Amino acid sequence: MALVELEAVSKVYRIGDQEIRALDHIDLQIDSGEFVAIIGPSGSGKSTLMHLLGCLDAPTTGRMNICGNDLSQASQDRLAGVRNREIGFVFQAFNLLAKLNVVANIELPLVYSSIPGAERRARAEKVATELGLGTRLSNRPAQLSGGQCQRVAIARALVNNPQIVFADEPTGNLDSATGEMVLKIFKDLNAAGKTIVLVTHDPDIAAVSKRVIEIRDGRIKREYNP
Amino acid sequence: MSFFVALQIGLREIAAHKFRSFLSMLGIVLGVSSLIATLALTTGIEIGTRQFMQQVGGLEYVNIVNKEISNQMFDFWNLSPGRTLRDAEILKSSATLVSHVSPELAFGAVIASPDGKSDRKQIRGVYPDHFVVARHELAAGRWLTDLDVERATRAVVIGNTIAETLFPGVPREKLVGRQLLLNGSPFEIVGVLPIYEREEDRLRRMRGEKPSRNRRGWDPFRGKNESVLIPFSTMFYEFRSGAFPMDSKESVRLESLTLRIGDLAQFRNALDQVRSALFVTHRGVDDFDLDTREEWFDRMESSVRATRLSGGLIATISLLVGGIGIMNIMLASISERVREIGIRLAVGARGRDIFTQIMIESVSIAFIGAVIGIVAALGLIELLKALAPNENTPVMTFGGILFSVSFAVLAGFLSGIYPAIRASRLNPISALRYE
Repeated sequence: MALVELEAVSKVYRIGDQEIRALDHIDLQIDSGEFVAIIGPSGSGKSTLMHLLGCLDAPTTGRMNICGNDLSQASQDRLAGVRNREIGFVFQAFNLLAKLNVVANIELPLVYSSIPGAERRARAEKVATELGLGTRLSNRPAQLSGGQCQRVAIARALVNNPQIVFADEPTGNLDSATGEMVLKIFKDLNAAGKTIVLVTHDPDIAAVSKRVIEIRDGRIKREYNP
Repeated sequence: MSFFVALQIGLREIAAHKFRSFLSMLGIVLGVSSLIATLALTTGIEIGTRQFMQQVGGLEYVNIVNKEISNQMFDFWNLSPGRTLRDAEILKSSATLVSHVSPELAFGAVIASPDGKSDRKQIRGVYPDHFVVARHELAAGRWLTDLDVERATRAVVIGNTIAETLFPGVPREKLVGRQLLLNGSPFEIVGVLPIYEREEDRLRRMRGEKPSRNRRGWDPFRGKNESVLIPFSTMFYEFRSGAFPMDSKESVRLESLTLRIGDLAQFRNALDQVRSALFVTHRGVDDFDLDTREEWFDRMESSVRATRLSGGLIATISLLVGGIGIMNIMLASISERVREIGIRLAVGARGRDIFTQIMIESVSIAFIGAVIGIVAALGLIELLKALAPNENTPVMTFGGILFSVSFAVLAGFLSGIYPAIRASRLNPISALRYE
């Protein structure tokens, strides 16, 4: 089943009277259970593609269907709903809320889908324990190591049981050993049936995936299986 | 997102920045406390004024006064007998909307105690209705009764000033039954009236200060406190001509004729009744006027209203300023939290979730400020009492508190709108990139 379907999707930014075509007629399909890596140098448009796929933004032209939702002309609220229900997001900079402890950070997506407090907590604790954070539940992000922070972020991405998980340079802020561990988590998740889309500039990291899509100048340059 | 969760987040945010939150509350605290204090102050003045109005007879009190006759009617003047006992009688029998009628005779006389203290005062002959019309109360003894008037007894009811002058230091109860000489004739004291005074004088007396000559130089209760009241008939036979039999009512001219309207809702109709009854007894001569308290009371009430309005206006302005303070802090707070808002948006918060959260924070700050303001108002009122102990005691009402708090919450609500709209319109991508 196709979770992601892009047909002739373009994204155009306008800065003053200059038009910047960040994505140019992209066609892409990602099926359920795939492990896809999107690679490309900085400025290639891979982040823009990631934002579209992650429902943080809507395309300028073209048709976009994510998890059965036609989002070609979607409003911000509609995108927010899809992000909340269908998508998990892992960022390079973790993007945890410093004021909240681990459990509260993980349950954040559930807060916005009106799930009762006790259930939120139970689900957050369950995911955290699965990722080996069971002893760190009431710590603040500042008290955790980088790898632990990224695991909290992964737990947050998984807590609403999304169909697809996006990771934007998830190892970028980590040392190589910790990076390996994080990549292994994604591999295990994929082995368990989750669809994973990884964005990176590093072909070595992309090698953990099953399908690599290389972006250059806003177009898909090539696709290969490592 | 449920309201409760948003409230929790908001309160945590307020608690996380205690000093900043307190600063943003300060305007609301000052506004609410001054609004509550102003309302309490004017309520105090209002209650004092109401009490005063009651003590001087209330709005129901109507005084019938003589009027200079117009030039065209001058030739008919002698047709009218003026205010006589017959007026009182006809009012009692025909003016159904009038509940009490008090005709009075007055006579300047020397009053003296048996041990020689004396003073020259006006004594008045009254009917029992007088005690109702003039809103008298009793400190000791009894009022004059119909029987006293019928039998023309030598009974007298005295006011507080008289009691103080003639029998200084004697308890009021002990005065009942003592003798008093009016122009040399012995009378028995049957009743003593309490002291009538304004709130400020009462407070001053309570603190043991001399009842200093008050600033306005006019004591509205002086007449009531200097009362020497004897039965109408006794006055007529003893101190007036007495030669005329009382049953020729038209020959008994009155020094004063006052009455009380039964139902204020019928005030105008009652006055019309009185006027038409008196036109009969005065044979159509327009030589009397109905003196009511309406204008006087209206003036007092409008001055109370003006006080409340000006105080309320100042407090309202300070509440608005407080609201602007909240807006300022909220704007600073959201620009500091752009990244946090970006994260919340990224995990699925909608614009309206962010909007609700900022609104709840803003309203919570206002509400907490208002609660602190209530406490501050208590202190402020104590301070006012200490600074001006002779003024009317401020009275805090539940309505006043509710009004002030609602107003503060409204100020918080209004000043939250703009920051909340700005926060809810943030773009998730640029908010996440914001450093």
